[in-house]
Amino acid sequence: MHAACRTLLRPLSLHFALSIRRQTGATYLHSFILQHTEVVTNHLTPELKLLLLTPRCKYWHVRPEHWPYGDPYWAIYWPGGQAMARYLLDNPEVVRHKQILDLGSGCGAAAIAAKIGGASYVLANDIHPVAGAALTLNCKLNGLQPLPFLSENIIGVDTSHWDLIVLGDMFYDEQLADGLHQWLRRCIDQHGTTVLIGDPGRGHFIDHPIQKQLWKMAEYSLPESSKQENYGLTCTAVWKYQP
Amino acid sequence: MALRALVGVKRVIDYAVKVRVKPDKTGVVTDGVKHSMNPFCEIAVEEAVRLKEKKIVSEIIAVSCGPQQCQETIRTALAMGADRGIHVDVSAKDSETLGPFQVSKILAALAKKENANMVILGKQAIDDDCNQTGQMTAALLDWPQATFASEVKVEGDKLTVVREIDGGLETISMNLPAVVTADLRLNEPRYATLPNIMKAKKKKIESVKPADLGVDTASRIQILSVEDPPQRQAGVKVETVEDLVSKLKESGCI
Repeated sequence: MHAACRTLLRPLSLHFALSIRRQTGATYLHSFILQHTEVVTNHLTPELKLLLLTPRCKYWHVRPEHWPYGDPYWAIYWPGGQAMARYLLDNPEVVRHKQILDLGSGCGAAAIAAKIGGASYVLANDIHPVAGAALTLNCKLNGLQPLPFLSENIIGVDTSHWDLIVLGDMFYDEQLADGLHQWLRRCIDQHGTTVLIGDPGRGHFIDHPIQKQLWKMAEYSLPESSKQENYGLTCTAVWKYQP
Repeated sequence: MALRALVGVKRVIDYAVKVRVKPDKTGVVTDGVKHSMNPFCEIAVEEAVRLKEKKIVSEIIAVSCGPQQCQETIRTALAMGADRGIHVDVSAKDSETLGPFQVSKILAALAKKENANMVILGKQAIDDDCNQTGQMTAALLDWPQATFASEVKVEGDKLTVVREIDGGLETISMNLPAVVTADLRLNEPRYATLPNIMKAKKKKIESVKPADLGVDTASRIQILSVEDPPQRQAGVKVETVEDLVSKLKESGCI
């Protein structure tokens, strides 16, 4: 009896040790994302398949303090990002042969849309390291080679030359909004970069001084599922920042 | 016309908790007891969010008066769709004597400060059952009021409210700005879901003191005693119908 238990336990404990070793590795992150998200297309860009957290996933229902890897911003397709990706897919001339930075890339939809539209180079940047793994998986899911990803916070630091910077739903945090505004201004002043912002009209965006220098490029009604994920919001838009 | 709605959210002992009276009869035990948003306040928040989704309201401000923990209640309102919060900081001790009159003065001051067009509140709180805050807020602001609302419609600056009254419904119409208090059947409040909770963490909660609003929170009421409801008396078992009839006769029931 005991011997039988031991033989049963051995492969289990070996598996356990391996899984601990793998927890920090990219493979583990990939299998974690695959296990805890599902492929979703009921958003503004149904031609893009994206791995996202939905009410059918376990972590949707788990209290935030139990989520591994912090808040899963990368696992939700935020309205600002949806507007941005929709706009890029509908207007490929905006991205064709351009060097593009997707700031706060999240699930990577805008970066993927830019690549599909014919961008020469796309860099996705998000300070959430899991976003990199999500981007890789979502690229593969849409028949693309994994796009380059950077997890350092480059807001306020790097002002390399970009033809276009796209950002979706980045004005949800007051502090971030202020830093971002200054930095985008610098990118435009130094490199003549075009800046496109996707936002559904969140409080910190509507009340921000940047509003005076924005031109609305497109507006979209939010699909029902996104309304459920963003109570009180019904539409989303893309704005061009022209200081 | 896009309106700004001020919604009051009160932190109360959770409706599922068995409330216990303090041994010195000065109040009820609140330490270590689960608290949540007053259910009528949830209905008020829900109505504001629905008006926002209909593009009638452009901004929802959730207000709560009380100790630090009230910020959790405000955070819940933000996760339901309110845009920003105001926490009127009153110490735990002072909160014990904070009644509808003091809260009305705070809400009236905030409604003016924030240029609100509409104040939406629960008809009453499940802890003190006062049913006074909405009425007094309207009086202090000199605004019309629609209490016990079971349906709210806004057309231009006209507000039409169906009210639950004894034996039926009453429909009234008034001009904005106005105070509305929510009754039970106004709507069914939504649950805060994960993406909404995530974004709510970043919404702004401003903290102010009643004195900043020029409000004196001294209470005019002295609590003499808080008592448990009387215990139900034990019944009597009867063996036969005859026993039952004689017992009923004995007690003068028949």
